[in-house]
Amino acid sequence: MEPIVRFEAVTKAYGKSVAVDALDLDIAPGEFVTLLGPSGCGKSTTLRMLGGFETPNSGRILLAGRDVTRLPPNKRDVNIVFQDYALFPHMTIAKNIAFGLELKGIESAAIHRRVGELLDLVQLGDYAARMPHELSGGQRQRVALIRALAPDPQILLLDEPLSALDAKLRGQMQMELKAIQQRTGKSFLFVTHDQEEALTMSDRIVVMNAGRIEQMGTPEELYGRPASRFVASFIGDTNLLDCSVVSADGPRVALDWQGVAITAARGETSPAPGTRARLAVRPEAIRLFPAEPDTANRVRGRVSRRVFKGNHALLSVEVEGRGQIEALVDPLDLAVPTEGEVWLGWRAENAVVLRD
Amino acid sequence: MTSLPADTTHRAETGAKAPASAPRYAPGYGRLMRSPFYRATLGLLAENRAARLAVFIGVPLLWIAIAHVGPIVQLVRISLLQTYPITDGSSPSYTFANYWAFLSEPLYSLPLMRSVVFAFCVTLVTLIVVYPVAYYVAKIVRPQNRTRALLLLLIPFWAGEVIRTFSVIMLLANRGALNVLLREIGLIDRPIPMLYNYFSLSFGVIYLVCLYMLLPLYSALEKIPNHLLDAAADLGAGPFTRLRRIILPLSKDGIVSGCSLVFLTTIGVFATPILLGGPSTGLFPETIAAFFHGASDKWPVGAAMAVVMLAASLGLAALFMRLVGGKRSARFL
Amino acid sequence: MAAARPLDGPKAALSAAYWVFVLYLLGPLLLMTAMSFKAAEFIAFPIGETTLDWYAKVVHDGQFLSAVGYSILIAAATTLFATVIGTWIALVVSAESLWLRSLVFALACLPAVVPGMIQAISVRIFIATLDVPTGTGAIIFGHTLHAVPFVMIMALTRLRTMPGSLVDAARDLGADPVVAFLRVTLPYLKPALYGGMIFCALLSIDDFVRTFFLGGYRTTLPMLIFARLQGGMSPEINAMATLVLLTTAVVGLYAEQLTRKARTR
Repeated sequence: MEPIVRFEAVTKAYGKSVAVDALDLDIAPGEFVTLLGPSGCGKSTTLRMLGGFETPNSGRILLAGRDVTRLPPNKRDVNIVFQDYALFPHMTIAKNIAFGLELKGIESAAIHRRVGELLDLVQLGDYAARMPHELSGGQRQRVALIRALAPDPQILLLDEPLSALDAKLRGQMQMELKAIQQRTGKSFLFVTHDQEEALTMSDRIVVMNAGRIEQMGTPEELYGRPASRFVASFIGDTNLLDCSVVSADGPRVALDWQGVAITAARGETSPAPGTRARLAVRPEAIRLFPAEPDTANRVRGRVSRRVFKGNHALLSVEVEGRGQIEALVDPLDLAVPTEGEVWLGWRAENAVVLRD
Repeated sequence: MTSLPADTTHRAETGAKAPASAPRYAPGYGRLMRSPFYRATLGLLAENRAARLAVFIGVPLLWIAIAHVGPIVQLVRISLLQTYPITDGSSPSYTFANYWAFLSEPLYSLPLMRSVVFAFCVTLVTLIVVYPVAYYVAKIVRPQNRTRALLLLLIPFWAGEVIRTFSVIMLLANRGALNVLLREIGLIDRPIPMLYNYFSLSFGVIYLVCLYMLLPLYSALEKIPNHLLDAAADLGAGPFTRLRRIILPLSKDGIVSGCSLVFLTTIGVFATPILLGGPSTGLFPETIAAFFHGASDKWPVGAAMAVVMLAASLGLAALFMRLVGGKRSARFL
Repeated sequence: MAAARPLDGPKAALSAAYWVFVLYLLGPLLLMTAMSFKAAEFIAFPIGETTLDWYAKVVHDGQFLSAVGYSILIAAATTLFATVIGTWIALVVSAESLWLRSLVFALACLPAVVPGMIQAISVRIFIATLDVPTGTGAIIFGHTLHAVPFVMIMALTRLRTMPGSLVDAARDLGADPVVAFLRVTLPYLKPALYGGMIFCALLSIDDFVRTFFLGGYRTTLPMLIFARLQGGMSPEINAMATLVLLTTAVVGLYAEQLTRKARTR
C-alpha cells in the first residue's frame, strides 16, 4: 500500500545545531504512529515540518504521493492538534470547529451538519454555543481534536496533546483518542515524551534521539527487544549487564558476565566473539528462587533493598563483586524469597544484546 | 473508558435542537480566498513570502524613518545652517555659530538652566507627594476597591493641559477659592498673590504631571507580593526598615519610569507657564517659541536651542535611568 | 473606598494623604465647574446667584461649535492613522526576530519621550522643508506622531498575552497569512485597540502645543479656550471647559475600563 506520508532524507538544522538528521519514515494509511523521545530529540520539529511550519534544509516530504516540502501550512491536507489546544478564544466551540470548513468555502448548512456530527463524536453536542474558556481541560482537548479532524485531513498530527491534563484524565483520553482513530480510520502521527502514552496507543513507535531514529517497531517489539541502550533505558526500566561475547552462532549468543555464563537473544546486533557487549534484562523478567533454579541464566545474590509499590515490590539484589540487579516481584507470592541469600534466574529470550 | 456514541438517535436529538443556537458560519472567507479579485491583490502578498515580509516590515519602517526620525534630523540640520531659508541656487553652509550664540547669551541659556532645575524640583516634589498615595491605593485599599480608588484619581487625567491649568486659576486667583476661604476664616485681610509666580507655576505643573508619576508607581507597588512585607515584619523589620529595605528597592522600576516621564513632560510644558507663570519665571520653551513666531529667518538659532534642550532632557533622563537602574522597555521585547 | 478595617497610625495617615490628593486633583475642576453657574459676569468667589445662561450661550456660540467640529475631525483622522500605524509597528516588533527589533522599538517610542514642545517645532520645521503648509494636514500628522507610541505599547501588551499557536492553528486550518490576521490576530487585539483608539482621540482633543505650532486659521477646542482666556475671563469659558471636561472624562474612564478588561481577560 502506498504510504500516506513519506519523509525522504529530511534534514533540518538551526544554525549549527541539527534538529533532524536525514530522517526516513513512511506512515501507512490508518496507522497510529508515535514519535517518542526526550525533549530536543527532533520529534516536534519533524511534526512541524510535516505541518508546514518549518522548511527542511534538504530532503523531501511526500503527502499521498505529492511533494509538499515547500508548501505553506494552509496548502497542506494535514491538521494539527496543538499542545495548548490553540482554541480561538473569541469564537464559540461551533465556530472553532467550523473554522477550517469555512475556509474551504463549504456551504453554511453543510458546515452546520458536519459540526454537529463531530460534536456528537466526542459527546459535546450541548456545548456548541459555549466559549472555550467555559470548558474543562479534557473538553477543550476534545474540541481541539475534532476541529483538526473537521476539514478531513489526510493525516492528523498531535503535538503532545495530553501533557496539560492530569494523570487520570490522560489515561481516559488515551483510550478515547485510540477509539476515535480506529473509528475514523485516519492516520495519526502522535508526538510525546511519555513512554506509557506511546505504548498504550500506538500501532508503531518511532524512538528518536538527537535528530535520528533510534529504533522503530510495535510497542511489544520495542519493549521486549530494545535495540540500543538508549531505547532500553528510555522505555521502561532495565538492568544493563556488561558482558564479553563467547560465541554467537544462530539466534542465541553465549556471553560471560564476569565469570557467569549467560545465554541471550541476539537482538539486532551481530556480536563477534571476544568483543564487549551490553545486555538488557527487564526487572520483571527476573525471577527469585530460594535455591538454585534450572533456568537458562542464574546467579546468586543477596537482597540489599526492598521497595514496596502496591501491586508489586522492587528488590535490589547485590551480586557479589559484580553489581546490582533489580527484580520486580509479586509481594503476595509466598514462594518468592524477599530477603537474605537468593537465586536470580531468567530465560534466554528475555535478555537482549544491545547495540551501543 | 469512555464509549463512543454509536447510535444515531443521539445525533438526531442534537440536530433537532441545534437550530435554536445555530451560529452564522462564514464560508465567505473561503470564497474570498478563492476569488479572482483577492488572488490578484492581497492574495499575491499572501502567496509570496518575500513580498509579504517586505510590505509588512517596510511600511512601518518607512513611517518610523520619515515621521519619527525625519523631524529630529531636520531640526538638527536647520540648527547647523548659517542662514535660513536657503535662497534658491545657493548651497547651504553649515556652522556651529547658532550654538555659540545660545551659549554666550545669558538671556537664552539662563531659561534653560531654570527649566532644568525647575523640572528637577517638580519631579522630586511629585515623587514625594505621590508615593504615599500610590502606596495607599496599591497596598492598603482592598483589591475589590482598588480600581475605583484609581479611577477617581484618573478623572482629571482626561482634561487637557489648558483646561486643567485654567481650573488652577479658579483656586489660586486673588478672588479665587483659596484666598476667599482664608479671608472668610479671618486668617488674612488682603489676598495673598498666589498667581503668576513660581508657586502657581509649580502648583499647576505638578497638577498636570502627577498622574504620570502615579501610574508607574502604582503598577510597580502593586506587583510587590504582600507576603514579602509580612515576612520582613515577621523577621523584626519595623515600618521604616520595611520601606527602606523592601518597598523602595522593589518599586525602583516605577520610580525610574515615573520620574523620567514627569521630568520629560515638565521640561516641555508650554501652555501652563504662559497662563500661570509671571515675568520672573520665564522657562525655556517660551524662549524657544519666540524664535518661531515670526519669520523663519530666526529658525536656526531656535532650532539650536531646541536641540540643546532635547539633548539635555533625554540625556538627563537616560543618565537617571542608568544611575538608578531598571530596564522597563526590556519587558516588551 | 477607604479601608473599613481598623486603621492604625500609618494607615490612617496614608488614607488621609489619599483623600487630600483626591481633593487636590478634583478641587480645582469642581471650582471651575461651580463657577460656570455663576450669574454675575466676573470670575470671583463667592458664587452667589446661579444661572444656566452661560451654557445656553456656549451651545449657541458659533466659534465653539466650529471648534468642536474641527477637533472631532482631527481626532477622528488621528485615531484612524495612529491605530493602523501603531498596531502595525506592534505586530512587526512582536513577530519578527530581527536583530534591529530593539532599535525599531526604541525609535517607535521616540515621539512619546521627546518633550511636546520640541516635537511641535521639529515637525513645524520638517513640514516647512517639505513645503507643506501648516493647517489641518500638519495637525493630523503631529497628533498621529504623538499617539502612535501609545497605541503601539497597548497593542504590544495585548499581543504578548497571545499564544503563538493561535495563528499557527489558523494557518493549519487553511487560512493564508492575511485571513489569519483578519480572523484571529485582529479580533484578539480588539479590546486593546478600542481602548487605544479612545486614548488617541483624547490625546488629540486635549493637545495644545502641537496644534499651536502646526495650526492654520481654524481653532481647535484647547486653542479656543486658550485664546478666550488671554482675552479675559468670563464664566462662559468655565461653561465651555466644563462641557469639554465632562465629555472627555466620561469617554476616558470608559476607555480605561476597556483596556483594563483587555489586560485581565
